[in-house]
Amino acid sequence: MATDEDLIGAVATGDGRALEELCRRYERGLHQFIFRHTGGRDVDDLYQETWLRVVRAARRFDRRRRFSTWLFQIAVNLCRDWHRRRPPEPVDPADIEATREGTAAAADAALDARRLLAALPEPQRSAVILRYYHDLGEEEMAEVLGCPRGTVKSRLHHAMARLTQMARQ
Amino acid sequence: MSECDEVLARLFLRRPLDAGAAAHLSACPRCSSEQRHVRRVAEALASHDVPPPASTLSARVLGAAAPLLARHARRAAWRTLARALAAALVPLPLIVFLDFYLVRAMYGVLEALLPRALSLYVVFNYAATLTLLLALTYGMIPIVAERQMRLRREESRA
Repeated sequence: MATDEDLIGAVATGDGRALEELCRRYERGLHQFIFRHTGGRDVDDLYQETWLRVVRAARRFDRRRRFSTWLFQIAVNLCRDWHRRRPPEPVDPADIEATREGTAAAADAALDARRLLAALPEPQRSAVILRYYHDLGEEEMAEVLGCPRGTVKSRLHHAMARLTQMARQ
Repeated sequence: MSECDEVLARLFLRRPLDAGAAAHLSACPRCSSEQRHVRRVAEALASHDVPPPASTLSARVLGAAAPLLARHARRAAWRTLARALAAALVPLPLIVFLDFYLVRAMYGVLEALLPRALSLYVVFNYAATLTLLLALTYGMIPIVAERQMRLRREESRA
């Protein structure tokens, strides 16, 4: 089976089927990452823009790096930009819940998690999502977030302290 | 990172505690009081379900990426062709030089055996055949390069 790095090499030569395979491999993980980061807003647009940036920059991809790290780096940057120029309208939970299946209790819990994540500053939110939901190690997180390993540790520490503080209230 | 931080981080990430961590958790007053809140946060985060992406999302991405992919394909084709032509042109002076000497030597031999006009006719035919073969070989380069690129693409896909 072709590796992600082989596939992105093929994308750089204009291979649509290689892009399709990469999309299939990362569809769920990337979609979930963006959803959690933005609280469910503009997810499809950000998802599409992430892949377009991947295609645009495919020729510059360094084959010694891991594709997944590069992909999430692009997604983090896009989410960061999105938060900077975030549209003003508030999240309408009904819109998000309409697309969901599950019990009312599960919906409440999800809303609570969204509130928790939304309360974190963007760098800490990225760190928590990558660590908690995507199980990335500190080394890989540092590469994705473009900061030293110590900074990753401190962001996670501060995020945990802030979330625990919220749980106390 | 202190031991308290490590234990609480493990609880936060819902990782199993080893015997040492469990002992610390029961002995440390700070961790004992914090663990309830950390567990609550961890459970809330764990219950954050995300709806699956729309079934049309991939098609939408592929549609939007199609012009970019077409541009990449055109560039890649040109690059491959340019590389192939460059590689093929390197030995060309040597081939022409050798052919020239071969034709000249043949003409020298034939001139000793045949009338001059006939020698010229044979050598001219031979030179024309060589030129035609060379032109055909170089004319095939774009076709062979394209075929190789297609095979390479299929290999990487497999």
